[in-house]
Amino acid sequence: MLSALLTGDFGGFGGYGGGMDGLGGLVLFTIAVAAGATALLVPPGLVVAGALSRPGFRLRTLAETLVSLPLVLPPTAVGLALLLLFGRTGPLGRPLWEYFGFEVAFTWKGVVLASAVVAFPLFVRSARSSLEEVDPRLPAVARTLGRGPLRAFLEVELPLAWRGVTAGAVLAFARALGEFGATILVAGNIPGRTQTLALALFQRVQVGRDREALTLAAVSALLATVAVALSELLVRRRDRTLSR
Amino acid sequence: MHPYIEIDLTLAQGGFALAVAVRLGETAAVLGPSGAGKTSLLEAIAGLRRARGRVVVAGEVLQDSAAGIFLPPERRHLGYVPQDGALFPHLSVRKNLDFGRPPRGGPSRRDEGFDALAAALDLAPLLERYPRHLSGGERRRVALARALLARPRLLLLDEPTAGLDPLRARKALAGILKVRETLGAGSGGSGVPLLVVTHDQREALALASEVVLLTAGRVAAVGPAREVLRAPERLGLDGGGRWENVAAARLVRHVPAGGTSEVHLEGGEAVTIPYTPDLEPGARLFLTLDAEDLLLATVPPQGLSARNAVAGRVDELIAAGTSVYVRVGPWLAHLTPAAVAELELRTGTPVWLVAKTHSWRVVAG
Repeated sequence: MLSALLTGDFGGFGGYGGGMDGLGGLVLFTIAVAAGATALLVPPGLVVAGALSRPGFRLRTLAETLVSLPLVLPPTAVGLALLLLFGRTGPLGRPLWEYFGFEVAFTWKGVVLASAVVAFPLFVRSARSSLEEVDPRLPAVARTLGRGPLRAFLEVELPLAWRGVTAGAVLAFARALGEFGATILVAGNIPGRTQTLALALFQRVQVGRDREALTLAAVSALLATVAVALSELLVRRRDRTLSR
Repeated sequence: MHPYIEIDLTLAQGGFALAVAVRLGETAAVLGPSGAGKTSLLEAIAGLRRARGRVVVAGEVLQDSAAGIFLPPERRHLGYVPQDGALFPHLSVRKNLDFGRPPRGGPSRRDEGFDALAAALDLAPLLERYPRHLSGGERRRVALARALLARPRLLLLDEPTAGLDPLRARKALAGILKVRETLGAGSGGSGVPLLVVTHDQREALALASEVVLLTAGRVAAVGPAREVLRAPERLGLDGGGRWENVAAARLVRHVPAGGTSEVHLEGGEAVTIPYTPDLEPGARLFLTLDAEDLLLATVPPQGLSARNAVAGRVDELIAAGTSVYVRVGPWLAHLTPAAVAELELRTGTPVWLVAKTHSWRVVAG
């Protein structure tokens, strides 16, 4: 069943359905998906990073392990788990489909979800380490000055940790750009619907269009380089602010 | 009198246990060596650390484990000033100060309390600067003002002069005294209630009327500051101990040619101290005089270079180890038993207290 999804329209860069045409469409779709994944993972990522950065947090080791799991599991295993959860008959997929008409598996939403889950640990690790660098007395003082825990976090901890948080988001974005293993299981490789750069590259190699595959590889490399360089720049700037 | 502060807290963390049960008035100092649990105690009172027990300030129960009450820090209205101030580094001084101020109606930010405080602590030149560009002393002034602007029921100060050089420490203490006076005048009270933790006895005497001695998480003594601190077992510490007399005073005038400044002590006695040009006549200050440097005479002293002589009567002889502290009013003089015997000092003996100009040190002013 899955291998059938790998086939499809093999009509070169111009052969996509939907509103996307050619390499430009592919790049735009990939960037949009990665951006969507980043937007999806940042809010829960901040909650998790905030909780993990607290010294008194119980079940810390367990939570840390769970959060890091997508980083070390084969992405295909993550994808399979997501497919089982969000497939039309899955425990989450069925109610989403039945009550909201919301379909995740084999749609662009599946691509976003899979990329978000795989990139999640990268964001949490970066955000958490910069939150841990914030002097714990600062939110404490904010509390005594009338701020509740959430407002102390938003007004003091987050602004002080923003570089690491932003760097984490950029890193997660870069990871989402190249996501392959989980995505192909959850969303398939449907040209014009769920096909990202990484998936298209795989498909071109499979059918022997090496030239196109190389072009896609070069474009992916370019995107990833820009994103990682941006993240590095932010992190380095953070180190400088700390050492002053 | 009803106690202003009631604390009955126990806190265990790691191998360290803190158990403090005291009832205190409006100004108190917790004095103890580092590692005695002073900062933990302050954090527990502020609600930043979960301790078991009871905290009542100004009749308001902030915490009572037995009754299941635990107000979070944001509802305790206590002004916490950590050791180096802990200013928010991403905010300007002005925004740091605004952080804790109750929101005011209307666009006007005019506020008499703010202006008085800014003047008392000389904050105007700092308002647009960021904490990283402030000196240690400036940071503490801003942190103090930030806490006070939230109109706390009680100010919690953690080592307000630790890490400052003597002159800055002097100014920092003076700042605290000045704002207490300034704000007290406005509200008709005697100033903002304060609980300070410190390892510096002079600081405790200058700021607080009561003292809690904390040793390894336990209360070793509690009571009126001078009485607790001059207890024989404390004076006898380290086989001889050390006592610094602390006195409030007001500057009367400078005598630059003589290299001196004249002050009036709280009790009205006129005293000469080293020339201190950075203070203006009328300024309030705190002075210290080492008990070692205070001489006693049974006849009016003559032909001495020491310029200060005040008459009094011996109130008490405190034997501490191999030395004797002779108390005359609030003053302690450190003598050898031989000197006490030779002068035939006993309770009631009229004496002259004699001190050199240069024995006086300004600790706040």
